[in-house]
Amino acid sequence: MRITLFDYGAGNLHSLAKALRGDGRDVRAETDARAALVTDLLVLPGVGAFEPAARALDGGREAMRDAIQSGLPCLGICLGMQLLFDSSDEGEGAGLGVFSGRVTKLRTKRTPQIGWNSIDDTTDPLFAGAHLETAYYANSFACRAADESAVTAWSSHEGDRFPAAVRSGNTLGVQFHPEKSSAPGVAFIRDYLNIISNS
Amino acid sequence: MSLTRRLIVCLDVREGRVVKGVQFEGLRDVGDPVELAERYERDGADEIVFLDIGATHEARATMLDLARRTAERLFIPLTIGGGIRTVDDMASALRAGADKVGVNSAAVLRPEIMTEGARRFGTQCIVASIDAKRDGSSWRVYTSGARVRTDLDAVEWARECVSRGAGEILLTSIDRDGARTGYDVELTRAVSAAVDVPVIASGGAGAAAHVRDVLVNGGADAALVAGIVHDGVATIDELKRAMREANIPVRMVA
Repeated sequence: MRITLFDYGAGNLHSLAKALRGDGRDVRAETDARAALVTDLLVLPGVGAFEPAARALDGGREAMRDAIQSGLPCLGICLGMQLLFDSSDEGEGAGLGVFSGRVTKLRTKRTPQIGWNSIDDTTDPLFAGAHLETAYYANSFACRAADESAVTAWSSHEGDRFPAAVRSGNTLGVQFHPEKSSAPGVAFIRDYLNIISNS
Repeated sequence: MSLTRRLIVCLDVREGRVVKGVQFEGLRDVGDPVELAERYERDGADEIVFLDIGATHEARATMLDLARRTAERLFIPLTIGGGIRTVDDMASALRAGADKVGVNSAAVLRPEIMTEGARRFGTQCIVASIDAKRDGSSWRVYTSGARVRTDLDAVEWARECVSRGAGEILLTSIDRDGARTGYDVELTRAVSAAVDVPVIASGGAGAAAHVRDVLVNGGADAALVAGIVHDGVATIDELKRAMREANIPVRMVA
């Protein structure tokens, strides 16, 4: 299976690449939005700011949205999940609009939310299967999904309840960092990869 | 449910090796940062900090190589501090495998580095590392490994760091560092009341009660430990159990 990390140039891709690698899976990073679509799984990694990341989509935004909506499996992590939505209060530019809704600042005193938070009200069996009950977050913004039926798990920080995960078929967005959530987080990624490779 | 309080393990690294005594039975190469970081992850540490205390030009390249090797094997967050002077240094550390970078002296010399870093990488990547020493009824900021006294008041400086883009404050009490007599709870409380970002308390942990005290009474979001776990005075698991018994939300590993 070919896995492509869409690299918008900001952060650490090592742990994520390591979590994705193995069992004949080939992981590469790609900075061009169109070239990134020649793959079996597109991963939108989680470190950086919305505006430069949205800018990196320029020239390939429609192609990427069409590919995902036509069934290209896609995993968006943190900022990557936010890019699956329409737009963000964090900065200018458009997301992919695969899920409808806007990304807004957490309604909390302590921001960013940095640390391990519990994953609540899960409807996706991936969570129970991986025993992922507490996950690592580093975010100031959250995705306010217009259609809450796409939300498959929730977390709360200082009373602000926000989507921990959204899913539509093989498109999965997670606000937390599974690659930083120790063994259960890595198991979560592996289980998702198994679903992709078997579908 | 809610955000848990974190227990963070700090390893002092010099030229790619952990310095200060680290005692683990059954671990052959006791000074290898990668192995130690992995070991602490298994034990339940919530994060790892590598503090580069060499911080020469050559040491920086060694640190980046170390970050790369660690990120390949560590699946909890890694912060690298020490010797970060420019936004390009931040970029190199993050590209190498750090999730966050700590800035200390460089931020005092040129506070804009935090703003520039936050704009490029997000505030969640930028940790303002503040070394503070009691000075009468307040606390003074020191830089350069606590050797150089500045004119800055620690609480005011913490506020400025946050307004300039720091997403987290790593607050070390110079008075308590290594003393094992407990964190400076008063300092921690003063800073955590003054800022809206998470505060990591550092310096002085000698027992589980100290960790509990700084989280409950100091308002810290996280407690940093080093010597007590390296020397085997307490294990991560013991410290976390003590946190849980005090009704502090905590992540336990099975």
